Amino acid sequence: MTSWKTYLCALALATCATACDRSNESAAVVRLVTHSSPGGGSDVFLREMAPHLSRIMGRTFVVDNLQGGSGARAIAALVGAEPDGRMFYATTPTFVYTSLLSRPAARYTDLDPLVNLFFDPEVLYTASDSGFESLSDVIDHARSGGGAWGAANPASLERQVMEQLKLKAGVAAAVITFEGGGAMLINVLNHTLDMGVGELQELRSQLDAGTLRLLAVVGDDRLPQYPDVQTVKEQGIDLAVRKFRGLAGPRGLPADVIAAWETAIPILLDDPEYRKIYIANGLQPGFMPHAEYVEFMDTFGRDTEAFLRDTGVIE
Amino acid sequence: MIGAFTAIVTTAIGPAAFAGVAWGILGGALPGISPSIAMALLLPFTYGMDPTIAIVLLASTYVGAEYGGSIPAILIRTPGTNAAAATVVDGYAMKEQGKAGEALGISLYSGVLGGMVGLVVLVLLTEPLSRVALAFTPAAYFALGVLGLSVIASVSGASLTKGLMAALLGLMIATVGTDPVSGVNRFTFGSPELLSGIPPILVMVGLFAVGELLAQAGEPGWQQAASGAARIRFPGSAMRKRIARPQAIGSVMGVFEGVMPGAGGTISAFLAYNEARRWSSHKKEFGHGSPEGIAAPEAANNTVACTALVPLLSLGIPGSNSSAILLGGFLIHGLIPGPTLFVNHPDIVNGLYTGLLAANLSLLVLGFVFMIPCLWLVNRPKPYLMAFVYAFVLSGVYAIEGSLFHVGVAIGFGPVGYAMRYFTVPFLPMVLGVVLGFMVESNYRRALVLASGDHMTFLQDSISAGLLGLAFVFVAGSAVRHGVDAIRRRRLARAAV
Repeated sequence: MTSWKTYLCALALATCATACDRSNESAAVVRLVTHSSPGGGSDVFLREMAPHLSRIMGRTFVVDNLQGGSGARAIAALVGAEPDGRMFYATTPTFVYTSLLSRPAARYTDLDPLVNLFFDPEVLYTASDSGFESLSDVIDHARSGGGAWGAANPASLERQVMEQLKLKAGVAAAVITFEGGGAMLINVLNHTLDMGVGELQELRSQLDAGTLRLLAVVGDDRLPQYPDVQTVKEQGIDLAVRKFRGLAGPRGLPADVIAAWETAIPILLDDPEYRKIYIANGLQPGFMPHAEYVEFMDTFGRDTEAFLRDTGVIE
Repeated sequence: MIGAFTAIVTTAIGPAAFAGVAWGILGGALPGISPSIAMALLLPFTYGMDPTIAIVLLASTYVGAEYGGSIPAILIRTPGTNAAAATVVDGYAMKEQGKAGEALGISLYSGVLGGMVGLVVLVLLTEPLSRVALAFTPAAYFALGVLGLSVIASVSGASLTKGLMAALLGLMIATVGTDPVSGVNRFTFGSPELLSGIPPILVMVGLFAVGELLAQAGEPGWQQAASGAARIRFPGSAMRKRIARPQAIGSVMGVFEGVMPGAGGTISAFLAYNEARRWSSHKKEFGHGSPEGIAAPEAANNTVACTALVPLLSLGIPGSNSSAILLGGFLIHGLIPGPTLFVNHPDIVNGLYTGLLAANLSLLVLGFVFMIPCLWLVNRPKPYLMAFVYAFVLSGVYAIEGSLFHVGVAIGFGPVGYAMRYFTVPFLPMVLGVVLGFMVESNYRRALVLASGDHMTFLQDSISAGLLGLAFVFVAGSAVRHGVDAIRRRRLARAAV
């Protein structure tokens, strides 16, 4: 055999070996898909979780950013995947909103909610020098005819919070929406808005510097980082939302896959090393096993749809 | 300063800045890959890095990409980034006159100078400038958008009517997507791809690049190579003196636009172009290959690359998509930008400043190195060049989100660009409409909701009143100029008869 033929055979064998090796490797690899761009909320959540989850579950996790269509592209990829436990999607309220707003071919109802991991606590806040000491001050001001409240996006859970708060407090404050929390934060700091609603994470620096004051937590429990800040419910208004961070897979996930995740997530959330990270990021552990998460998503979807219809966003 | 140079040479900051700028120039030069996308593609690789090095790498990418966007703007009439759109007019005109090397030299020199000014401002004036950012209400942002739109008259060429038609078309395109106040979908036809609107870069790639390819394919001499100069020329002392004023104008615009979250490099580049023309003693050259028409926008958008970090570092508020990615870079390393960053992590802040200095120095070297293959490439026979450009811009568009829909939109705007060229309708007013439309509309409506529908709010807010007054002066001045030009043309025509 001439030398070039020898090299060719060697190359072919090497290629086969690599391909076989890859197929074995891919069996152990789990894709965690997000619609978020690198550095975005869900991307950071997945990338920080992956190494710790890998240690607990003995699998390799890779984060895949499938941006585009406000989550529709990522959902479509999941819907077309095999339910073999090798591909999951990071769920947030965005995937429900996109499905309801644009009615794409693949919707959130076409996925199987797996488990929930966290809640991103929503808080109401004002500028420290605004003159408002409490939520009731802001509501009293709105009752006297004024009031401008901010929410990050027009079709979002944050706007839903403000519209429901208006309704339950019986006031007619103007709810102003923005293209993100940053622009809204400026308008709270310069007193254009009386208060805003947002996630703790995006306010941390201003809270540490003392330029913002927390008025209330829009959840069921107080925050461990700010134990003195009452919930909206404690202040006499029956309102609480839960901004979730969980996982969903293609429909028809096998029982053993679900069971493996239901076992692993409580261990992950108790892991001291990982706990330090998520507490620093302002996340509240909120484990929900599969059956409970399915029910939760069902209720969340129905409530959101009702809100979007009531506010005229969808027909 | 000596400490900064020592850090560049002795730590990994220098290599990180060099690598970031190189990647940024490549990304920025690829139409479709905006500075923020170039940074986002790099972000996952920074997770395991030392925080200072990771932040320097990302910030340097931003610096490189802002410059990189001007390379295709000058060489193939396609802005690589939104902010480079203002460079197209005179940059491409110079290239057509065989002065591509000189145009690229002016762009690089002005970019580095703008970056240095931005860095000095960032280091010395971050705290006071952050108060400027806080003073901007929705009414003021609306007025800022109107001021940006007032440039339309300057970039409309011979016919103001055609310019206004193009701007109107741009404003209409900007209405596609989610309504900024009610959240209702507008002109999305049930497509989730359109929920966030049509990205301006797709419109630009379609109008400029695809439209140019369609036009070039039908021109005589198609097979021939372009006969442009392949030599890179940095501006000589006479040219440096001439472009000093537009560079100063660009830097001032860049400082103020950069510190306002959401304003960004595009408005500053167009305003700088407009003002450079107003204060130039070579007004007639603008639009026909004026070096000042390159210097002003390039100085402006490279200044913004540094000053856009003011609201992020001082308030923790990302003022642009690029600084939002940088914010992500901070967060994944457990750092929280904002008032406490300077107290808790002065090492990171100083490292970033040093890195930006290294990035601007690297830009000078790498910008020069990158020009050599670029100039060689544009002087190839057109069939090869056009095939390359097509593949280049469409792969750039696809890379934004891996979406074929985006590629379809960019191609769809090609015939629009061809038709506009045929009827001599200018592109830039349309680009301004697309870029500023949403900002103007959303802040107009927000301001009215806050003022219970009272339009006087735009005059009661002092910043808004000042900016609107300035816009009025610009528009009135340009309208008078267009009127005088039209009368002069008519007289000349009559005299010729």
